[in-house]
Amino acid sequence: MNSDIILILVIATALAFDFTNGFHDTANVVATSISTGAARPQVAIGFASLLNFVGAFISISVAATVAKDVVDAEVITPTIVFAGLIGAIAWNLVTWYFGLPSSSSHALIGGVVGSAVAAVGFDAVIAEGVVGKVLIPAVVAPILAFLVAGIAIGISYRVVGKQRPGIVSRGYRYGQIVSGGLLALAHGTNDAQKTMGIITLALIANGTLGAESDPPFWVIASSATAIALGTYSGGWRIIKTTGTRIIKMDAAQGFSAQGAGAAVILASTHFGFPLSTTHVINGGVMGSGAAKRLSAVRWGVAGNIMVAWLLTLPAAAAIGALTYGVTRIFGTGALGPMLVTLMALSLVVTAFARRAKGGAPVEATGT
Amino acid sequence: MIATIVHTDELLQTIAASLIAGIGVTFLFSVGIWGAGQFTELGRNERPLAATAAAVVGVLALLCVAGAVITGIVVMTHK
Repeated sequence: MNSDIILILVIATALAFDFTNGFHDTANVVATSISTGAARPQVAIGFASLLNFVGAFISISVAATVAKDVVDAEVITPTIVFAGLIGAIAWNLVTWYFGLPSSSSHALIGGVVGSAVAAVGFDAVIAEGVVGKVLIPAVVAPILAFLVAGIAIGISYRVVGKQRPGIVSRGYRYGQIVSGGLLALAHGTNDAQKTMGIITLALIANGTLGAESDPPFWVIASSATAIALGTYSGGWRIIKTTGTRIIKMDAAQGFSAQGAGAAVILASTHFGFPLSTTHVINGGVMGSGAAKRLSAVRWGVAGNIMVAWLLTLPAAAAIGALTYGVTRIFGTGALGPMLVTLMALSLVVTAFARRAKGGAPVEATGT
Repeated sequence: MIATIVHTDELLQTIAASLIAGIGVTFLFSVGIWGAGQFTELGRNERPLAATAAAVVGVLALLCVAGAVITGIVVMTHK
């Protein structure tokens, strides 16, 4: 009974996390299309949420990595998964409140690793999976997107350089419908799978699923729905971030940035690498800008991403570990997770209320 | 040991696939736009044969883009 209550809390928290993921990632997915005039905001957001939903169904490789390659599912309990999730959400909230850069994906992995270490010790962590499937791809993917977008835009300018600007601009704007759609699909498939992986891990930990099980259909469908609803609901506040704050871009740059981001995310997803999709998209945007003019790129944003790389995993791990410690004060039953949920909810409400009064800066966090 | 941790093969395949797809699709799409531009320009200059050839190259390039996108999605769904 106790573990079922904890499991329900984990599933609800994971889906809420998925919703917020879509909510603040809307900007990353659609800003490039909107800033170049390729799509109206309402159309871009509706299209992106639909493709986020569809994308969640096309692969389960990343979900398998999160469920089986980060921590040892045999020694994990639903409370550990719960504490990890709360660690990730708390870190996202803190960074959002203080305007610090973050990555929800890294926070999620960090939170689960931290709570697992606090509960079981370092033996619970699959170092090979964390290093090989999370840390190294986290560094490689944005750099790869930067290079792909940079080379692609260089080639594009050479191919269409002597054509009339009108036809070129119109052509790439049409192209952005496809590249933007692919980016939304890629975002849905990589990010929704992290939630699927976490819920699957909790179901395995609870004994509801076998150790080698894939995510059940209801997990896939609910994760897809949560991220799509989040994408549809959110993002207006930070819609300018990716498209205009990093670089002022033309339609060709937008096309190559989106194409590079989609290619890197889809290829990585195929091999089960859970990425920060925001970092990859920003890498593509910066690459397409740097190829034209290095000074056009606002390198401070790149610096923020570097800080996010370094800070998010250990910070979320520390909060995840602390959360696990707090839940254990109340024993091994459902009381601890229930009280922590209440504390987390009041923290969220307080943060939003204070932000509504304009008490702190706001910065986009990413996944 | 390091190769096992790094997942070298999968990482290299990711890099190769990203480079080929990201750069290749953008190049082909640019050729499509070039074809459309040349078709308009050469048509205006009353060079119908050259205009048609440019249009064919452009259309073929755009078909290749469509093929690459479909192939990518099919590969994704078959693992």
